[in-house]
Amino acid sequence: MNSGIGLIVWIIAYPFVSFFLGVLLGGYGRKLTARVQRRVGPTWIQPLFDVIKLMTKQTNISHGYMHDVAMMMLVGGTLMTMYFVPVPGFHYFSQFGDYIVVMYLLLVPPLGMALGVGQTANPNGSIGISRALQMLAGYEITLVMTFIGFAMKHGTTSMYELMKLQQAGGPATWGIFAEPLLGIAALFALQGMLNEKPFEVIIAPHEIATGPMTEMGGKYLGMMFIQHLIALPMELTIFMNLFLGGAQSWVEYVVKLFVLFTLVLVVNAVYGRFKTDGALRFFWKLPLPLAALGVVMIMANGM
Amino acid sequence: MYTQALLLLPLVGFGVAFLLQGTVKRSPAIVKTWAMLGFAAIAAVAALAGAEIGTLYEGPTVFGSVLTYGLTDLSWWFVLLIAGITALTTVFTLGSLRYADDYPMYYAWLFAKVFGMIGLVMSRDLLSFFIMWEIMSWATYLVMQQGRDESRKAAQGYLVYAISAGMILLGGVVFLRTASGSFEFAVITKFVAGADLGVIITAIVLVLVPFLIEAAVYPTHGWLPSAYASSETTMTAYLSSISTRMGLFGLILFVFNVFGLDVIDRIGISAHLNLRTLLLVLAALTAVLPTYTALFQHDAKRLLTWHSIGQGGYMLLGLATASTLGTAGGLMHIFNYMTYVALIIFSIAAVEYRTGTTNLNKLGGLITRQPVAFLGMLFGIIGLAGIPPMNGFVSKWFIYRSLILGGYPFVALAAFIATVGTIMSVYKLIHNTFLGQLPERYNEVREVGWVMQLPIWVLMAVVFATGVFPGTILQWIARIQVELGIAPIAYTLGGVAQEAGDLNMMVITLVFTLTFIVGAVIFFMGGKRRIVSQYDNYAAGHFLNKDVPYNFNYNFYSAFDHIFEKLYHAAPVQSTERNLGRLVATVGEYIRRFFTGQINTYAAYYVAAVIIALAFLKEVL
Repeated sequence: MNSGIGLIVWIIAYPFVSFFLGVLLGGYGRKLTARVQRRVGPTWIQPLFDVIKLMTKQTNISHGYMHDVAMMMLVGGTLMTMYFVPVPGFHYFSQFGDYIVVMYLLLVPPLGMALGVGQTANPNGSIGISRALQMLAGYEITLVMTFIGFAMKHGTTSMYELMKLQQAGGPATWGIFAEPLLGIAALFALQGMLNEKPFEVIIAPHEIATGPMTEMGGKYLGMMFIQHLIALPMELTIFMNLFLGGAQSWVEYVVKLFVLFTLVLVVNAVYGRFKTDGALRFFWKLPLPLAALGVVMIMANGM
Repeated sequence: MYTQALLLLPLVGFGVAFLLQGTVKRSPAIVKTWAMLGFAAIAAVAALAGAEIGTLYEGPTVFGSVLTYGLTDLSWWFVLLIAGITALTTVFTLGSLRYADDYPMYYAWLFAKVFGMIGLVMSRDLLSFFIMWEIMSWATYLVMQQGRDESRKAAQGYLVYAISAGMILLGGVVFLRTASGSFEFAVITKFVAGADLGVIITAIVLVLVPFLIEAAVYPTHGWLPSAYASSETTMTAYLSSISTRMGLFGLILFVFNVFGLDVIDRIGISAHLNLRTLLLVLAALTAVLPTYTALFQHDAKRLLTWHSIGQGGYMLLGLATASTLGTAGGLMHIFNYMTYVALIIFSIAAVEYRTGTTNLNKLGGLITRQPVAFLGMLFGIIGLAGIPPMNGFVSKWFIYRSLILGGYPFVALAAFIATVGTIMSVYKLIHNTFLGQLPERYNEVREVGWVMQLPIWVLMAVVFATGVFPGTILQWIARIQVELGIAPIAYTLGGVAQEAGDLNMMVITLVFTLTFIVGAVIFFMGGKRRIVSQYDNYAAGHFLNKDVPYNFNYNFYSAFDHIFEKLYHAAPVQSTERNLGRLVATVGEYIRRFFTGQINTYAAYYVAAVIIALAFLKEVL
């Protein structure tokens, strides 16, 4: 399915598939959190209703052209990154960009958002961005350390190759079992990457009036929702490809997505939130040293 | 013929610009026109000189040895970079150098500096290398100290370092001449290959340390921020983009060509613990520490000068791996950094031209007033942060890949930590300058004229085009690699060939363009939008007008400040710092008696040192 008509169908259909998965995951997330907190919760496709409502609003307030372009960069950048993350049956673009590329592409949407939020000239927004960028030094560095170790072990930086190697070796060679220290560290990083509690101070409504979203309304907020829904399965897939052996069929893929997301959600449902400096200290005290230890062990085994 | 012209033109340029200094007050246009013509001619000759690669030319005879010069692939590449960026800078100064009468010798010293740099990269023996090195250092000093008192003071800081570097290099030159019996590179290469370890170590320390100082590698980077940031802003761009890289040129030339990698690798305990490991560690420190210092700067120029140090660390990281991927990344990063740092500082200069300040706490919201400068800075910071599709990403990709696959995981991590710091500080830069609230006093600010816009547009095109088509640059890099004895990189127009890894910038850019269009379609599918004033904003129910301060830019990364403030005041750090401070004060007291701050004194020392060295040489000859 990586050539000819099949490829074209994939390229066109993939954003829709991804959005659909995002809606299901998002809805599941709200439902599950509600049940953990003994509420009923909204319907499973509530995120879709939210998006439709926001995109059809009549009042759309903009603060200038950068604010508009930022929204295109936000959604466009996320869609672009999505193509470079292999999923079962579709890895055509992996040959044009390895994980180092994905690592940097992941920075395009936040950069777009940061520029747009900057133009809204609202200090709450700027504070949100400042916090988001500082958080990068926590979770992103941890995630990269785990990737470096894993890539060094297998001698490749290609996400597709890493996934294939794990599939060929069976579950025992899955990153999370073969290198548990790296896997655990990456799980913490995933929590931060998804902005779920306890690493949620960036968008916390009670602290900084939702931060980056302060001046976003109507279709602007709608596009941020769309971006969030596409990014959700993508970010989970990155973790899955690196540490859970990816997936060979769509059934396996969806099951793994939901299991992984459940793990993130139950932590999110019961924890409070760290302050920015607290979150950074946490990442530097626990997950990052864990990952570093894992890398040292890989080096020791290799020598 | 072109090779000689490359040395002759800057000399003529210097002479005429020197004579024209009296006219600067009445009609600055004359000297500007002369400089523009001169640097355009140098750029044209540089482009043509490629035909003469490999030919050796003989210059005057000094102390019985003939000074030789000529082009190699490596030196032609550097000549092109120097000539290109000088020409662009000159175009920019045509508009930006308003107070030309403050800088009567601006162009004259610039010609002298170009002469020194081109001469340095073209010199083919140790003696001409040293002579050109000194000319370059002095010209750099003279370029820096133009203008305000503050620049003069900061330039003296540079001079102390430059003279130390020059002295050490002189020691190296004398040592190698004495030991090998010749100034010729070929003879030295042969001599070093058969020499004892002790001799090699002495030679390497004496020759490489000056380059590390000039390249502002940690811990000898202290001179750079003040010296560069207090120069005239266009000159800051020029110095940041090319000047520091001369140290790196020396390093490349001597490590790969004159000494040879085999000799360098003989110093060490094992394959993973040798001189190159030390260089990697220094490079990693150079990349990380200055980048995080940049975070806390309040001046746009000063912030970027710290990056000049940090990004130099990346270049050294790539080069020190000595692998195909790493050296390709390091060499390419020299070009990439040159383009986007010049672009960013030109944008800052455009802002300074209209607002009169580069203080990040006073600017803001200028995006609607100076959109071209904003775009320039945006392209530049995307390059500097290394985000696709700009050229900075490609070189960083090479460096990461070489570090990960070369088995240096923690050095690779350090490189990424530096990248996070870079992203943070460049966002602060663009946010505090162009985004956020527009202060009322800047309501009337306009875009700069087309003369100043031109270099910004050109550099934007270069930063983007070489990012999408890195093959255009990699073809040069591959030739240089062959010359340095490294397996050349297998490149394609859009990235690297399959055996070297997965990277195709053309596809990445195409996908980005298409998905961006999808984003735009979704955006326009929504309802019509209305642009509102910056005072029509959420403020928890409070009204907003020009009298309500409502902006976030001071102390932008407070959590980092909060964390590291405590670290700095932890007892062991503090006492070490205090003791170090005492040591520096004591040593400084003695040094002060020598370095009086008077140029004449320095010149006298310098002449004395050269006389002593020559007397020593005379014995040998």
